[in-house]
Amino acid sequence: MATRLQFENNNEVGVFANLTSAYALVALGGSENFYSVFEAELSEHIPVVKTSIAGTRLTGRITVGNKNGLLLPNTTTDQELMHLRNSLPDEVVVQRIDERLNSLGNCIACNDYVALVHPDIDKETEELVADVLGVEVFRQSIAGNTLVGSYCVFTNQGGLVAPNVSVEDLDELSSLLQVPLVAGTVNRGSDVVGAGMVANDWAAFCGWDTTATELSVIESVFKLRDSKPSNIVNEMRASLIDTLA
Amino acid sequence: MVLYNFKTIQVVPTGKDFIDIVLSKTQRQTPTVVHNGWAINRIRQFYMRKVKFTQSNWHEKLSKILEDFPKVDDMHPFFGDLLNVLYDRDHYKLALGQLHTARRLIDKVSQDYVRMMKYGDSLYRCKELKRAALGRMCTIMKKQGPSLAYLEQVRQHMSRLPAIEPNTRTLLVCGYPNVGKSSFMNKVTRADVDVQPYAFTTKSLFVGHMDYRYLRWQVIDTPGILDRPLEERNTIEMQSITALAHLRAAVLYIMDISEQCGHTLAEQAALFHSIKPLFANKPLLIVANKTDVTSINSLSPEDKALLDEMVSEAAKMSGVAPADAKLLTMSTLTEEGVMAVKHVACDRLLASRVEAKLQGRRIQDVAYRMHVATPAPRDRQARPPVIPASVAAAQSRAAAVESKKKTEKDLQEENGGAGVYSADLRKNYSLHDPSWKHDIMPEIIEGHNVLDFIDPDIEARLEALEREEDALAAEAELEGNDMDEDDLTPEQRGLLKQIRARKAVVVAAHRRKKSAANNAPVKPRRADADRTSTTQQMKASLARVGVDATAAVERARARSVSRVGRKRLRSASAAAAADMEVDGSQAPPKKRIHSSKSRSMSRGRALSTAKPIEGTGLKNEAQHNKAIKMHDKMQRRMGKAARRGEADRHIPDLKPKHLFSGKRGIGKTDRR
Repeated sequence: MATRLQFENNNEVGVFANLTSAYALVALGGSENFYSVFEAELSEHIPVVKTSIAGTRLTGRITVGNKNGLLLPNTTTDQELMHLRNSLPDEVVVQRIDERLNSLGNCIACNDYVALVHPDIDKETEELVADVLGVEVFRQSIAGNTLVGSYCVFTNQGGLVAPNVSVEDLDELSSLLQVPLVAGTVNRGSDVVGAGMVANDWAAFCGWDTTATELSVIESVFKLRDSKPSNIVNEMRASLIDTLA
Repeated sequence: MVLYNFKTIQVVPTGKDFIDIVLSKTQRQTPTVVHNGWAINRIRQFYMRKVKFTQSNWHEKLSKILEDFPKVDDMHPFFGDLLNVLYDRDHYKLALGQLHTARRLIDKVSQDYVRMMKYGDSLYRCKELKRAALGRMCTIMKKQGPSLAYLEQVRQHMSRLPAIEPNTRTLLVCGYPNVGKSSFMNKVTRADVDVQPYAFTTKSLFVGHMDYRYLRWQVIDTPGILDRPLEERNTIEMQSITALAHLRAAVLYIMDISEQCGHTLAEQAALFHSIKPLFANKPLLIVANKTDVTSINSLSPEDKALLDEMVSEAAKMSGVAPADAKLLTMSTLTEEGVMAVKHVACDRLLASRVEAKLQGRRIQDVAYRMHVATPAPRDRQARPPVIPASVAAAQSRAAAVESKKKTEKDLQEENGGAGVYSADLRKNYSLHDPSWKHDIMPEIIEGHNVLDFIDPDIEARLEALEREEDALAAEAELEGNDMDEDDLTPEQRGLLKQIRARKAVVVAAHRRKKSAANNAPVKPRRADADRTSTTQQMKASLARVGVDATAAVERARARSVSRVGRKRLRSASAAAAADMEVDGSQAPPKKRIHSSKSRSMSRGRALSTAKPIEGTGLKNEAQHNKAIKMHDKMQRRMGKAARRGEADRHIPDLKPKHLFSGKRGIGKTDRR
């Protein structure tokens, strides 16, 4: 189920939220509107935690996590760390790491089994990602973009990659991640898909500007609501050609 | 992509208003005072400025108008023709051309008069030249009155034109008047077009929008068309013709099979055949409307044949296989078949657009967007999705009943809205004991961050420590040997006593010193009642740290006040030694002249030999020396008492209180 929403008139949902199969982190806003969209959709199944990170609202961009763990930048305050430890289930390991590239959400993209990391990331961080999140780690860039977390978003079911990637790169990435991938955009043509949306295995949240075509591509590739990635090639082909070409 | 937005064109003033606007602007924004006595150059400058200013205003305003109105030749042919139909292309071009000419003429007038003004030899002449210049400009513009009025009307009409996008996915509804075109439009979009039971209710193009297959579609409702030659068609019909001719859209030719519109099926078929050329290369559908009145089966064989012929003709023109071609039926009253018509039309148009795009070059650039990369398995590890069981349950339940949980947003609205409501962040904590949720925990205690000291294993470690301590205590109990003073030898006991006494002294001295906060001044002897700064004390304390203090004591004694007048050993012997080093002869020791202690006796050249400075009024060296000695002597008391002297750095009171208190900021009370 893909939902459209805004954070205080801003469409970059992935900046203000972080969604995994075991929990969701949401930025503290001026009102409860943004949080409540997540709450209504998810709170029956997983904890939805309202938190600031390092005093900022960029919750989605500076943290990274999956069902096994959560990595926080070293700028996270003790109080925020305690708040997160208290709110998340005990199985989720919350770890603050000393990494120079401390915008972890931009530099790391992961699902519950594999992670792509920025090529310049520390050796120790790479090991921590593997240990805490329990994933295989690959140093990768996406079509020359080293910020893998910004330019792709993937779950255990499928993934969306920024549109400037070639077919060969897409196939290579797909066999690395072992999920179906498709090149696409969110928010009416924005290529920073990681910042424009969040997704887990049964839900996705996109910016308000996301068009119907983009939304249906997202639903298909993330296998939400019984749709399949093959829909993109079959049923939606004509619509896609007409909008893109 | 060009956006056709005619709403941004600025208002065109009438000729008279235009003149008033420009002239009053000149009056307001140029200097108005001029004197006969000014230099002629200044007067000329004054009037030239007025002429030039007026000209530039005209130029600017006319350019804005010329820029705002779209050029017929640059526009999409649909809009070009629409403009022609509505406003007459020639008239439009002529009006804009005349404004262009007027702009050029005004520029010319200004140029001429500014040139002439250079020869103006009096204020009066210059003024007359200015008057003539502005007058000619206004006459030129007065003649543009009709053009300006026409352009203003065009502007008003254009700003009300629907925002038709000529290149997007479009369904075009056409047919005889009163066959149900607008009704169809109202059913598939939210446009709410006026529908009335008489012909030509729709007098212009209307646009509505709808969604289908994740795309946005534009539906254009056209005014009805009558079957007559093109030259006889009126403006209303011509708008339909223009849309049909230039928009690459799916055309829905609506037929009224009940013939309630007042035209027989044969007439409607005739119209179709006469405007057939306009449908070339477009997806074309024949739609039979008003099936609620007359069903398709109740038609006479002749009428059926007419319809079949039209359908096959339409199929031929839009390149559809005759087998696929069929007559679509609908009833806009009962909504039967309306959606089917919409779907067929949209699918046809989409298919034809896709086909056209597949031929184009851009498809190569976006082909990869239709590619789904499927992974080749690289190992035998299974990577199943992680979906909680509650999700599937919730999804099946959601289909049945929409359970509405109270969200934070609802709470917020109940409790005063955003900015007033403060959400409880700890509400959802998952702790061992739920009653701990709202426990207050200090962040900082005594300057220490509490969380730096938190240790998750603290309980276990504390227990281990306690166990260790108990074990040690038990061991000590077992051995039972603690030190006791009784076991010491007399010698050791004496030493211990000494150590303790010394320690007591040190502690007491330290405390005394500390109580004075370490800043006790050097005391004069008479103030040193308890005699702590004596030579004995110095000797004893230096001896205690193992230093021979004889020399130091000697020196201190030599300098003591009670011995003033005795010969000072060190200085005399030092001077003698120095002399001996120099020449070896026994010279009499130099007499000390200067009393200043800061001056060393071992300087190379005595000050006393210096000649008195000219103009000081001193006769010779002796007098000079005497003066120095007297000055030193006078200074001695001051120096001893550490009084302030004239050479000391002095910061005067820059703002003496008595001169500044009781004053008012804005004056008065200042007489002190």
